[in-house]
Amino acid sequence: MATAGQQELSAVISELGLDHQNKGTIGRLLNHGGLGQAEEGSDGRMRIQVRIPEDELTYSPSITVMPHAGELEIEFFNDDTNTHCAQVPSNGDYQWIWLPNGSRGKVTVTLDGPGYYWYNSNIGNDEGRGLMGAIVVLGDVPEEARLDRPPQPRP
Amino acid sequence: MTREYIDAPPPVALGNLSATTHDAPPVAKDLTYERILDAREAEPHNWTTYYGDYDGKRFSPLDQINTENVKRLTPAFVFQSGSQGLHAGPSTYAFEAAPLVVDGVMYVSGWDGFVWCLDATNGQTLWQYKHAIPFDVSLCCGNVNRGVAVAEGKVFLATLNAHVVALDAENGEKIWDTVHGDVRAGESATVAPLVVKDKVIVGSSGGEFGTRGHLDAYDIETGERVWRCYMVPKPGEPGSETWPEDGEAWQRGGGNCWVTGTYDPELNLLYWGTGNPAPDFDGEVREGDNLYTDSVVAVNADNGEKVWHYQYTPHDLWDYDSNMENILFEKDGRKLLGHFDKNGYFFILDRTNGDLVSVTPFVDRINWGEIDADGKVTPSIYPEKEGEEVHFFPGPAGGKEWTHACFNPETELFYCPVQDTGSTIARRRREFKEGMPYWGAHVIVDSEDMKGSVSAFNTSGGEAWRWETDLPMCASVLTTAGDLVFAGEPSGWFNALDARTGEHLWRFQCGSGHHSSPTTYSVDGRQYIAVPVGWGAWVEGFLPGMMGGPHGSGIFVFALPEE
Repeated sequence: MATAGQQELSAVISELGLDHQNKGTIGRLLNHGGLGQAEEGSDGRMRIQVRIPEDELTYSPSITVMPHAGELEIEFFNDDTNTHCAQVPSNGDYQWIWLPNGSRGKVTVTLDGPGYYWYNSNIGNDEGRGLMGAIVVLGDVPEEARLDRPPQPRP
Repeated sequence: MTREYIDAPPPVALGNLSATTHDAPPVAKDLTYERILDAREAEPHNWTTYYGDYDGKRFSPLDQINTENVKRLTPAFVFQSGSQGLHAGPSTYAFEAAPLVVDGVMYVSGWDGFVWCLDATNGQTLWQYKHAIPFDVSLCCGNVNRGVAVAEGKVFLATLNAHVVALDAENGEKIWDTVHGDVRAGESATVAPLVVKDKVIVGSSGGEFGTRGHLDAYDIETGERVWRCYMVPKPGEPGSETWPEDGEAWQRGGGNCWVTGTYDPELNLLYWGTGNPAPDFDGEVREGDNLYTDSVVAVNADNGEKVWHYQYTPHDLWDYDSNMENILFEKDGRKLLGHFDKNGYFFILDRTNGDLVSVTPFVDRINWGEIDADGKVTPSIYPEKEGEEVHFFPGPAGGKEWTHACFNPETELFYCPVQDTGSTIARRRREFKEGMPYWGAHVIVDSEDMKGSVSAFNTSGGEAWRWETDLPMCASVLTTAGDLVFAGEPSGWFNALDARTGEHLWRFQCGSGHHSSPTTYSVDGRQYIAVPVGWGAWVEGFLPGMMGGPHGSGIFVFALPEE
């Protein structure tokens, strides 16, 4: 849930044109393409759809939240009139996919967070213009991997 | 209106879009513990374990490259990686590893979860593994990894998000993956694992985040944890009397195990160095000696029990970790170990029981305190009053950082990369909060008035020679039966010195500073020297005067010209 402060920030960013291409600045400020939560299927795999809207050069949503570590299937839709791609971190190696104009394609990755990861379109300066997305993995490490000590205060 | 989409081409692993061949010869399949045990004598052409042998000498019997011909040394190949996308520590990644080589195949880790398997004669990538590392993992000292272990057809890696992973040595496919630590507690892992018998030994990182350090052993076949040895005792356990009674200090006391230990197979003892107590500089919240921080702990390799310990800096107030190597050697029939500590002193101990044999300073400027011949420590300058700055030598990176010394049994000399740098520090108390940096101070390391050397010491601690440098030496040194010592500089120069005299014989500019562990090997009778090059990591701690030094990401491999 966005706080009032965050909503105000989003409004100011929009007012300044930082959530558009070639408006406030040359590109689009990273990670201002919304947030989506991956849904877990009966097979345990988490899934989300991510679009590249026309002339926005952003992944939408640009923040994907996984409820816990595991497999994530991202279905990309390129609604733009240019070719892009996605390089997505995964244990073993990055998974990389071409995303020609008007195409759709699925990428499945394994992430063992908690923590968050960046993915990107690693051609031209797609990254600098806005085509970087975050994948946030919630949760904790397994009980057996935690330190043998009482619960500690957190920030 | 529903839009019609075309199908995008199927995704591929990024490594498939490269010249990687995706398979390696099965050279590691029969690399048993017994072979590693005898590797230096039986197969000197290989560098099978982190230090080249369990004794930590970083010495190779190879002598094709020697004092007479080293001036002809030339690059055989260069391996380059660069970095991909936005990763953790984008400004701090560094190449710290020690490349392992088994029968012509090199196994080496990079930053951010990379492992590469290369043809050791020409740098051809045979396979690569990339563990996905969270961008927000807690790292005190950069996106780094110090190397892998290889045995029984597997490559073992500790990842920055505190997993231990076993890979198939022929193709890099994951065999098992065990969670080793808690990233939410500020834990990570940067150590090169060590295979001993049927176990792989891995230590914790996270001393600047108030963790409770531990050393773990995992079954090499299954990844199941066999034992864990905490380096800060709970109340009632041996050593707990060195922590405040009824306090919480032990729960976040530090004592991490982030550098590979050495091992004596006859005694079945691991010699593992431990890190600073936490908070680093605020000792008032952790009165006492704070065992087993800043110590060498002799640990039974079968069950993880502590057998003896020696604490190099009791009640540390200077961030003087003692993780660095404890080099095993024999003298007059005694089993000894040698250790250059961050506190500026060179210790020689009886490794059967931890008795002090000698202690001598190895760096010119030491004013934090004094250690007498009996090992008694008398502190002089330390952060004490809130906000009041003190300046002391050596700074928190120490007279020698984690980067390794070596010992040549033919010259009977130790060679140490020396850092002579001070630091200004003031105590700044803060509450402990899990996952947040927990130093208890502000820290400004000197950017001027610093120097370094490669210094040679005999087995009594006497200095034999030194090769002086304008900048502190921040990379491991390597010695060979060719009577050579190899040493990289922060400025990018890679040097060869005469091991007997310190005479400078050869150098090559690698284009980025050195902060790794060079190794040597031979294939088909040709000797190679391999040095990862990539400046970065905790530069603000060990050499802020080089914060602007060029980042690199290569392995330079040298050999004599082919006839």
